[in-house]
Amino acid sequence: MEAAVRSWKAGCGGRPVSANAKRNPLRISDGAYGRIALVVLAAVAVAVWFLPSYYTGLLTLVGIYSLVTIGLNLFMGYAGQVSLGQAAFVGIGAYTSAVLAVYLHLTPWLGMVGGALAAAIVAYVLSFVALRLRENLLALATLALGIVINVVFNEWEFIGGSSGFKGIEGFTLGSFTFDPRAYAILSWALVALGIWFAGNLVRAGFGRALIAISAGELGAQALGVDALRLKRQTFVLSAVYAGIAGAVYASYQSYIDPSSFSFLLSVNFVLMSVIGGLRSLWGAVVGAAIVVALGQLLLIVVPIVLPSARGDFQQFFLGAILVAILIFSPRGITGWRAEPSRA
Amino acid sequence: MTAAIWQYILGGVADGAIFALVAAGFVLIYQVTGIINFAQGEFVMIGGMTAATLAGAGVPLGAAALLAVLVAAAVGAAAYLLAIRPARAATGVTLIFITLGLDVALRGLALFVWGTNPLSLPAFSSGAAIRIFGGAIPPQTLWVLLTDAVVFTALTVFFRRTYAGTAVRAAVANPQIASTFGIPLRTFAFLSFVVAAAIGGLGGVVITPNLGGMQYDSGLTYGLAGFVAAVLGGLESLPGALLGGFLLGIVEHLAGGLLSTGWEQGIGFLILVLVLVARPQGLLGRRARRA
Repeated sequence: MEAAVRSWKAGCGGRPVSANAKRNPLRISDGAYGRIALVVLAAVAVAVWFLPSYYTGLLTLVGIYSLVTIGLNLFMGYAGQVSLGQAAFVGIGAYTSAVLAVYLHLTPWLGMVGGALAAAIVAYVLSFVALRLRENLLALATLALGIVINVVFNEWEFIGGSSGFKGIEGFTLGSFTFDPRAYAILSWALVALGIWFAGNLVRAGFGRALIAISAGELGAQALGVDALRLKRQTFVLSAVYAGIAGAVYASYQSYIDPSSFSFLLSVNFVLMSVIGGLRSLWGAVVGAAIVVALGQLLLIVVPIVLPSARGDFQQFFLGAILVAILIFSPRGITGWRAEPSRA
Repeated sequence: MTAAIWQYILGGVADGAIFALVAAGFVLIYQVTGIINFAQGEFVMIGGMTAATLAGAGVPLGAAALLAVLVAAAVGAAAYLLAIRPARAATGVTLIFITLGLDVALRGLALFVWGTNPLSLPAFSSGAAIRIFGGAIPPQTLWVLLTDAVVFTALTVFFRRTYAGTAVRAAVANPQIASTFGIPLRTFAFLSFVVAAAIGGLGGVVITPNLGGMQYDSGLTYGLAGFVAAVLGGLESLPGALLGGFLLGIVEHLAGGLLSTGWEQGIGFLILVLVLVARPQGLLGRRARRA
């Protein structure tokens, strides 16, 4: 209640103009998203020749996770919605690509397109169910849909049931079959493309309209924003990002099963999104990198301090970091400087 | 066939009783603070694991149970003070993320404390399975049902018959005016987390003997089932939580028995989606609340 009064006061005082200027998510100048993305891609393309193969694998995973999180940031960070079922779209992309490869012997390049398309269609259909709901109920609905989709993966024998698919075909380019290095470059090329595309979107009227929705759906509608339609488009777009990432994941691992796309993976995407910075495209990459790197670091450090520890104990730290970030810097790691001080 | 179905229903009642307890915790916190506490299931795990650890170390069962409930309540208090109170200025979506982070952190913490091994607890009373019209339930299920009866009666009496309970209802109806009249909203919010954690912990204690074993990640299942039960019941209604819990337990067991084990968990979420779409206020809820 006090908080509401406080923010109301802030809204009537002289501060909001400067606060808004600081909060401005459009501060990266025109074209910068694309240029930075190219620099990062070039860095990855060079790094994979020097890194041990284990780290090249991690780099690939960070790329795949980043791609999902960029889409999630559009939906959660910019449009102010919430999805606790994003892993299901990754799964749909992965399964579609696997089915096309295993049953129809189609190349993963087409699998990627098919995966994106399948995820988009499912998201479009589900949007009629989910997007009428807000906040708490939207969170519960996306959580529930994610779990139901995972049960379908488990129960549908055509797509391998609980044992999933083995021997999913890898990417090829002419006669060249992708090796781990090529996968790292491919995943980061997709990240670069994804950032460039999303960057163009958020800089345009589309992004401003999303931010208007997150500030208040009713207000946005009063300004002529078709909130439901834009939320739907963003939801579908986030599913496309997840579907492409899933298709790459399937070919990269060459093996998928339903447990790879569980609720816990959805929670991990939320961790990446929030830790990196919800309303930031690079935040998605930073968040994914932090979650993966911290997990690796803790796997090395914790057993030294506590030899009996096993399992996913790094989750404790990730959960604690998430809470701490939301308390001290709600805009995530990449947004901590831009956070206006709370009077 | 009918015998099998009857047995599924009895099994569903046993599970439903514990879902109802978790749902009661959700409803309590949601009513008082408007927060959906995604960490609620972890208190079931903490209660069960603590009681099993203590009982394994030779502490008498009654004392172990009491201590386990206190530990769960203390963790609930710490969680509120460390994670929820500092962020009370946050909006709905941020609070969802915070309780989700809390859930992840508590599960990780349990890994540090207990590792990945499941722990078990002896049944409270010995004796053969109780037969009801050809079906059977373990005697421990009666303890779970008794716990349900005690907890729901206590909560109902508190909200309907005591001054403090009336004050809480006033605060829920209109926080601003209640605050003007000196009703301590923050204290209520704090207490709602502590009591909900204690209820969850108690649920964990009484259900653990019925399980093969409680382990660090068991809380997730109960938390998710608790949501479904709470939303089925309308998120703001204690009788709804009770009804939702039993309904979910029975439907899950029927689906598990008649369809497949995979759908045992899936069916609840399918129903949850349908309820959210068709009747967001739940079976017994009165109105949609913006929170």
